[in-house]
Amino acid sequence: MSNLLEKIEHYRRLFADQVSRVKEARGVEELRQLFLGRKKGHLTLLFEEFKTLGPEEKKSAGRMLNELKSEIQNRLAELEQKLQAPARVEQLEDLTLPGRQLYWGAPHPITLFQREIERIFVSMGFSVEEGPEIETDYYNFEALNFPPHHPARDSWDTLYINDRLLLRTHTSPVQIRVMEKKKPPIRIIIPGKVFRRETPDPTHLPMFYQVEGLVVDRGITFAHLKGTLEYFLKALFGEKIKLRFRPSFFPFTEPSAEVDIECIVCGGQDRNCRVCGGSGWKEILGAGMVDPQVFKNVSIDPEVYSGWAFGLGIDRTAMFAFQIPEIRQFYENDLRFLRQFNRR
Amino acid sequence: MKISYAWLKEYVNLNLNPEELADCLNQIGLMVETLTRFEDDTVFEIETYANRPDTLGHLGVAREIATLLGLSLKTRNWPLRELPQTTAEMVDINILDPQLCPRYCGLVVKGVKVGPSPDWLKKRLEAVGLRPINNVVDISNYVCFSLGQPIHTFDLSKIKGARIIIRKARKGEAIRTLEGETAELDPEMLVIADETTPVAIAGVIGGEESGITETTTDVFIESANFNPVSIRLTAKKLGLSTDASYRFERGVDPNAAPAAAVMAASLLCEFGGRVSRGLLDVHPAPRKPRTVNLRLRRVNELLGLEIEPDFVVKTLSGLGLKLKEQGPLVWTAEIPGFRVDLEREADLVEEVARFFGYDRIPSAVTPVKSFDLPADRKRDRVWRLKEVLFHHGFDEVINFSFADPEKEQLWQTGCRPIKLQNPISSKLSILRTSLLPGLVENAVWNFNREAEGVHIFEVGNIYYWEEEEVHRENLNLGILTTGLRSGRTWREAEKETDFFVLKGAVEDICGYLGYEQLSFEPVEHPFFEPGQALKILVKNELVGLLGLLNASLARGYDLERPAYCAEISLQELLSRQPRPFSFQPVPRYPGTSRDLSFLVDDSLTYQQIQQQLQKLNIACLENFLIYDRFQGKSLAPGKVSFSVRFYFRHSARTLQTEEVDRAMREIISQLKSTLKIQLR
Ligand SMILES: [Zn+2]
Repeated sequence: MSNLLEKIEHYRRLFADQVSRVKEARGVEELRQLFLGRKKGHLTLLFEEFKTLGPEEKKSAGRMLNELKSEIQNRLAELEQKLQAPARVEQLEDLTLPGRQLYWGAPHPITLFQREIERIFVSMGFSVEEGPEIETDYYNFEALNFPPHHPARDSWDTLYINDRLLLRTHTSPVQIRVMEKKKPPIRIIIPGKVFRRETPDPTHLPMFYQVEGLVVDRGITFAHLKGTLEYFLKALFGEKIKLRFRPSFFPFTEPSAEVDIECIVCGGQDRNCRVCGGSGWKEILGAGMVDPQVFKNVSIDPEVYSGWAFGLGIDRTAMFAFQIPEIRQFYENDLRFLRQFNRR
Repeated sequence: MKISYAWLKEYVNLNLNPEELADCLNQIGLMVETLTRFEDDTVFEIETYANRPDTLGHLGVAREIATLLGLSLKTRNWPLRELPQTTAEMVDINILDPQLCPRYCGLVVKGVKVGPSPDWLKKRLEAVGLRPINNVVDISNYVCFSLGQPIHTFDLSKIKGARIIIRKARKGEAIRTLEGETAELDPEMLVIADETTPVAIAGVIGGEESGITETTTDVFIESANFNPVSIRLTAKKLGLSTDASYRFERGVDPNAAPAAAVMAASLLCEFGGRVSRGLLDVHPAPRKPRTVNLRLRRVNELLGLEIEPDFVVKTLSGLGLKLKEQGPLVWTAEIPGFRVDLEREADLVEEVARFFGYDRIPSAVTPVKSFDLPADRKRDRVWRLKEVLFHHGFDEVINFSFADPEKEQLWQTGCRPIKLQNPISSKLSILRTSLLPGLVENAVWNFNREAEGVHIFEVGNIYYWEEEEVHRENLNLGILTTGLRSGRTWREAEKETDFFVLKGAVEDICGYLGYEQLSFEPVEHPFFEPGQALKILVKNELVGLLGLLNASLARGYDLERPAYCAEISLQELLSRQPRPFSFQPVPRYPGTSRDLSFLVDDSLTYQQIQQQLQKLNIACLENFLIYDRFQGKSLAPGKVSFSVRFYFRHSARTLQTEEVDRAMREIISQLKSTLKIQLR
């Protein structure tokens, strides 16, 4: 007897649980079959069991059983009606109210510009390398053919940690680290943070970002350097941009070049242009053929291999591209500045 | 370096207009930065390079232009009015350190009338930004800016014993310089001394005592050559940079010394001077000129074009190199002393390229013969985590790697900071040992500029001494959220950020990067308020911290709103192997779910309950969700109620109700023993 009462209670709970999850009319019919089905319905089977009880027991159990049956019938009927009624969606009065917008965080403009540069080079089969920001004098200078105490070091004014360690002044030490580990062909770019002992002004800061490229293989020529940089700068600034290659000096390249692009601000038309100083040209990167001494320093035979390298300041290029007046805005992290760049 | 057009014409006949000349200079790498008129002259400010001291005089620049245009340089005569006495009779020159002073030339000019320079000379100097002083000093400058050879003039009467001794300074010696400052000398510095004391710091600056004055009549001209490294070290140590030291530290041609002395003497003759007979030229060990071999094949190989051999010969000869044909299209070039930069074949290739014109070199695609696979996926993962944070509405910032040691100390990061030897300022004198101070400063900066909420992150290195002499740079992620999370809209009120905004971002980073075994443990840390911080653990290893910023730290930065921040070592996190991705078939059979509400002791945390639920060993249990936590007066004291929805599924068939019942009974029984749950 107590067994039957427990079962009634169990099916009451089971029904309550399952009915709460019915979402469509078909589910109502399934539940009706499950509980009230003529042969195997849970209640049908309970009524069968009820018939085997003695008269005393039938009294209480019968009442509970009938109560459950009508509860199930009513609940299912009610639900059926509700589910068959056409769905009613709230009518809105003013559809011109703004929708629910989602704020997407802004990447830092340096990150954004760096990724654009990486994308262009990766599409030309370059891979991306990184290296330490704290360097030794050897990797930062000596291996790159800066003799000790040479005035050439003046253009790379250095922040020292001690007599052995310094903050790298360019990403070029990574060239050395890669060439020490890997034999040609090499085809890499190296983005990263670099440091100079510069007093802050509108175009100088003691920390900024650079990206450097290096190709080493048999038969690499200055013409390859030109072709690649022309493609890169056109990909970055547009098909129509005009370039100028002119001789320069870097201890780690020979011949060395600097590349100017035409001033996109004034197009060479403004004698007092803030960006190009009226020359119509903006210096954008340094480059050259890898110096034979650099190859010797990493045990690559300069008679067999040749290579080109370039380096470009990401901040300054981004300043030029976006016409950002002062370099320090990159590191003030004013949200009104940063948030513009997730619209790009 | 300022170059006067009129001055250039003293060396080469030019009839280009100034703009055309500027284009020529640019083509050969003497980049014209500005071009200004000076009376009837034009002045070009050109960029010069550390390896090209020859371009620090008008002659050197004229040589470049003449080569480019195929012109020849003018030769100039410097006649002398000579005295009967020889120089050697009047002065004695003695080089004690020929290593540091390879050559020293001297001439005496007597009877000079010191006074203002004539207009032509003043004009030359003023054009290149030099201030005319008197004829003697102006002539030295004129010679220096003509030939690139610095010369110095002494008042001969002030040189005791008329003896010039080139030696290292003695301990304790000092000299009052022409600038009126006293310079303490040390024994590494080369000086020009008379019998008793130094009269000049060699190659850097002269002494006041022996300098030219209104009353000087007899002038001693020094035209010498000094070791570049020695001059540089001396100038640096004394904090002096002069036109002379600037040239000597770049390397001056030893062969230029005699001509410069004669030129200066000749000019002094125009002011009543008469010159001692015979240049006194002390040159203990003349160096043989350097030679470099050049193969035309190599020129073409490096530049990627075909160059006419005639062009090579014409260009290099114009630049003063003596070419000897060594074999077919192979030359040996003798390098003139003024070209200190030409040492290897590649240097000569550059000369050919410069004068050929970089713009005329063709462009070609860099050939690829193989592709490299990326070494690791670290960079991809860093970008992925940034994307997760952008999605959570965090903006990316980049701060300086430098920090202010006083502020950094407040944080007690526990890392020994790396100090800079020569910082820009005391506020930028160490390298940061945490990303959080920068983020807090960014928050304050923005609150002071009308921001109502700041939700930012930075990925960057921190730096510290791991032990004596062993430095570390560690890639970290810092996150900070403070203030309003979203503004008011017509549907919703503004929302304040909270701890769980930050924690959700941290959980998602780990989740989307595939780091599954993420857990948290309470921790006390100086960054955070007591009892309001957690350690972040992946596979039970510490990777970071998160919590509510310590109130006294916040006060130190005038940050008024509560700020929640996290710092994670990406070095630690990304060095761990994430769960490899594996595809799971989409279920074919329907699942079912059951809810369970129960009471447990309120000492149990969510995480402890979750960990026990994860340990449940039930075959068809697919997943569970803790969807409610409730604690209140209606519950027995010391108890907390949790509600969990369990999801069941069989992969190969539809589950029977009885099976789910059985599973629920099993779950209840397991939880009764592990968590001592009471059913509600
Ligand atoms: Zn412009």
